Amino acid sequence: MIERLGYRIEPRSETTARGRTLAVGVALAASLVLCALLFLAVGVSPFAAFQSLAQGAFGTWRAATETLVKATPLIFTGLATAIAFRARLWNIGAEGQVFAGAMFAYWCQSALAGSSAWIQLPVIIIGAMVGGGLYAGLAAILKTRFRVDEVISTVMLNYIIVFALSLLLLKGPWSEAGGFFEQTAKVDPGSILPILFDKTRLHLGFLLALIAAAFVYLMIRKSPVGFEIRAAGSNLRALEVQGTNSRRVILMVMLISGALAGLAGMSEVYGVHYRLKAGAITSYGYTGIIVAILGLLNPWGVVIAAILFGALVNGATFMQIKTGVPSALIYAIEAILLLFYLAGWAASSFKLKRIKP
Amino acid sequence: MTTTSATPRLAVRHLTKRFGALIANDDVSLTIAPGELHCLLGENGAGKSTFSACLYGLLQPEAGEIEIDGVTAELTSPAKAIASGIGMVHQHFVLVPSFTVLENIVVGTGSGLRLDMTAARGRILDLSRQFGLEIAPDRLVADLSVGEKQWVEIVKALYLGARLLILDEPTAVLTPQESERLFAIIQQLKASGIAVILISHKMNEVMRSDRVSVLRKGRLVGTVTTKDVTRDDLTMMMVGRPVAQVHARSKPGAGETALSFTGVSLAKGGRTHLKNVTLDLAAGEIIGIAGVAGNGQDELLEAVAGLVRPDSGSIHLRGEDIGALSVHDIARRGVGYVPSDRFRDGLVSDFSIAENLILGQHWDERWRSGPFLDETATRRSAEQAIASYSVMASGPDMLCGRLSGGNAQKVILAREFAKARHLLLCNQPTRGVDIGVIEFVHGELLRKREEGCAILLVSEELEDIFALSDRIAVMFRGEILGIFPRHEADIARIGPLMAGHAHGAAA
Ligand SMILES: Nc1ncnc2c1ncn2[C@@H]1O[C@H](COP(=O)(O)OP(=O)(O)OP(=O)(O)O)[C@@H](O)[C@H]1O
Ligand SMILES: [Mg+2]
Repeated sequence: MIERLGYRIEPRSETTARGRTLAVGVALAASLVLCALLFLAVGVSPFAAFQSLAQGAFGTWRAATETLVKATPLIFTGLATAIAFRARLWNIGAEGQVFAGAMFAYWCQSALAGSSAWIQLPVIIIGAMVGGGLYAGLAAILKTRFRVDEVISTVMLNYIIVFALSLLLLKGPWSEAGGFFEQTAKVDPGSILPILFDKTRLHLGFLLALIAAAFVYLMIRKSPVGFEIRAAGSNLRALEVQGTNSRRVILMVMLISGALAGLAGMSEVYGVHYRLKAGAITSYGYTGIIVAILGLLNPWGVVIAAILFGALVNGATFMQIKTGVPSALIYAIEAILLLFYLAGWAASSFKLKRIKP
Repeated sequence: MTTTSATPRLAVRHLTKRFGALIANDDVSLTIAPGELHCLLGENGAGKSTFSACLYGLLQPEAGEIEIDGVTAELTSPAKAIASGIGMVHQHFVLVPSFTVLENIVVGTGSGLRLDMTAARGRILDLSRQFGLEIAPDRLVADLSVGEKQWVEIVKALYLGARLLILDEPTAVLTPQESERLFAIIQQLKASGIAVILISHKMNEVMRSDRVSVLRKGRLVGTVTTKDVTRDDLTMMMVGRPVAQVHARSKPGAGETALSFTGVSLAKGGRTHLKNVTLDLAAGEIIGIAGVAGNGQDELLEAVAGLVRPDSGSIHLRGEDIGALSVHDIARRGVGYVPSDRFRDGLVSDFSIAENLILGQHWDERWRSGPFLDETATRRSAEQAIASYSVMASGPDMLCGRLSGGNAQKVILAREFAKARHLLLCNQPTRGVDIGVIEFVHGELLRKREEGCAILLVSEELEDIFALSDRIAVMFRGEILGIFPRHEADIARIGPLMAGHAHGAAA
């Protein structure tokens, strides 16, 4: 059909980074159009809807910082997923590792309640990394020792830890004395992540997330560890023949990935909710996968994608108030974005060629 | 051979293919008659594989026309090329390892969703019987040797109904006997009117073609009728200078023992790979391992490199038992290893030349500044390697996946030769490299030997073995059947041993 117009679709010999960036751009534009249609369908002017969305996300200083608050856990989980996917380790377990990080941090910190912030803050940061890392490391060991596929093991571990937290909170040692909800008591004030700017909720976690992004960027691009991660993503066998222990690489990647995811849990518990409960840390792991893919598995791309997602979530509430569009629509938008991106990415491996003048 | 009378099987006019600034095929025109065996000859990176990929629809040329049996063909995908009757066996295998032979052959060939496996099996068995190809349809491709995979590739092309078969360096991975068989098959193909394009760096094979087209730096130097030219004429056309064949060599030095095998045995997957191997290799000595591929040569080298652990026996490197050492520890003791399957074992295709050159040594101090890799240092050393091995590349940052086959091999050689201070394990070092580079590699191996490096050389090319070895060992089914000083070894003694006739008594 297209040939009649004098064009032909041809495969490209390789997809370029530019092509993939373009695919993201096209996906964004296409989802905007589709969302506009959705708004029209519910009888809201798309212009008004988008305007209120943008206003809610970035309209005021407070709104903008709130967007960054929402983006913070997604930066961590996006980075966690990106680093694993770079090595072609399909770690779907950021969700569980977020839980493990939050829980291990809480366990360590609750023993230190009352002590100075200089002690408690390092403990929760390190505790979160250790907890998330070890939990991901479990999947690595299952893979290297027992050949259990990481997709299966990480998903399975996600279920287990959610269940474990529920047990601990329901009747277990962590449940709030006299409370009705499945949650802990408020954490010790000395363990709360400091607020960065007055009259906002933006906390130290955001700064840590940016540092983590810079760290991941330098590590992947410049360090021997990143060299191994990239090599593993391309030809693990060659890496092994050249004397690198592939089990060590797999374990290392999972430990780093899990540690990053663990920080997301810590940052939500100690930066936003000030208590540990499933609702505070749910779904960031799964959204992080989308963020990582849309961020092209690039650390700075992940930061941008996470802020975009934070903006969507944050702006949606305002949009609902102003226009009546249900904020749950945002989750549809996220999914639409991903689908368009994947389609655009597939399309970017083809090109249109003129066959007749 | 008359090529003017009938419609040519293939006519290519003014084909041009660019990769960015590089012109890989520059205005190439040629015709091939039905039943013709046509060789493409050229140095590494001359554009032979690119030309074939354009014919097979894998790459789209910027300009040019392709006619098959007089009909203009739009070869925009391999599917269209196959439909036009073009078959191809790639320089690097493209079979799915986890599929059986049968599945690999029929994958994507079914009409609709259903595949008639019984009928397919029947046809495949017919084809393989007709051409004397031994393939077992139900074996997993992962379990096949390199040579056996080649047969599957050829049967697959025939199964798809090729009238023009492109073979990109098929014999690079075949044993001499298998190559002979391939030429017998080609004779039969020719008799039934199928045209064959053969890419090969081996002059004795090129001389068996009907016509030869020589490419140099993407341009067609000329097409000649083979019986009218000599090897030297072709070499001149290809390289632009004559190539020396022999290297001066000194007497073997009586060096200390660099490597010794004592009763090494290895079995895996129900097969014996090494059987009671006992062998000493001195510093400054080259031992050539002759034998048909798949008789334990790969495992012999892998055992030294630490990639497989023998079941019994011991291996000593300069007096030290290396049985418990890791691959990395062994490499650090000055051992270089050139694997036979370069894209699987030797290179990361998504990495640049500079990165591949430090693969495995990326933790070394000299490639680091602080916690980071020192890109200035790695690039500088890559530039040197590119220059001294004349790798045809745009620079140290070029991805190895984009290099031509022979140039990729040069990158591995550069890395491993530099690593080998005491021992060099070489599996098929000259596979797929052009004659200019073979000359260079031979020179380098002999230079290493002069420096006191011990070299264990496995090659299908008896020419390599005879030209380089101080002693020649013959392997058969994992066993060393004989070992001779070079001046006592000749094909009459070695040939029967390679076939497993232990006492030279040919059956
Ligand atoms: N995808 C690519 N991108 C950039 N350059 C490429 C690409 N593929 C091939 N080239 C370049 O095109 C040139 C021709 O390569 P080609 O593979 O056709 O050589 P060849 O004649 O088959 O060599 P060999 O004998 O080593 O296999 C080389 O310089 C190679 O580096
Ligand atoms: Mg080639």
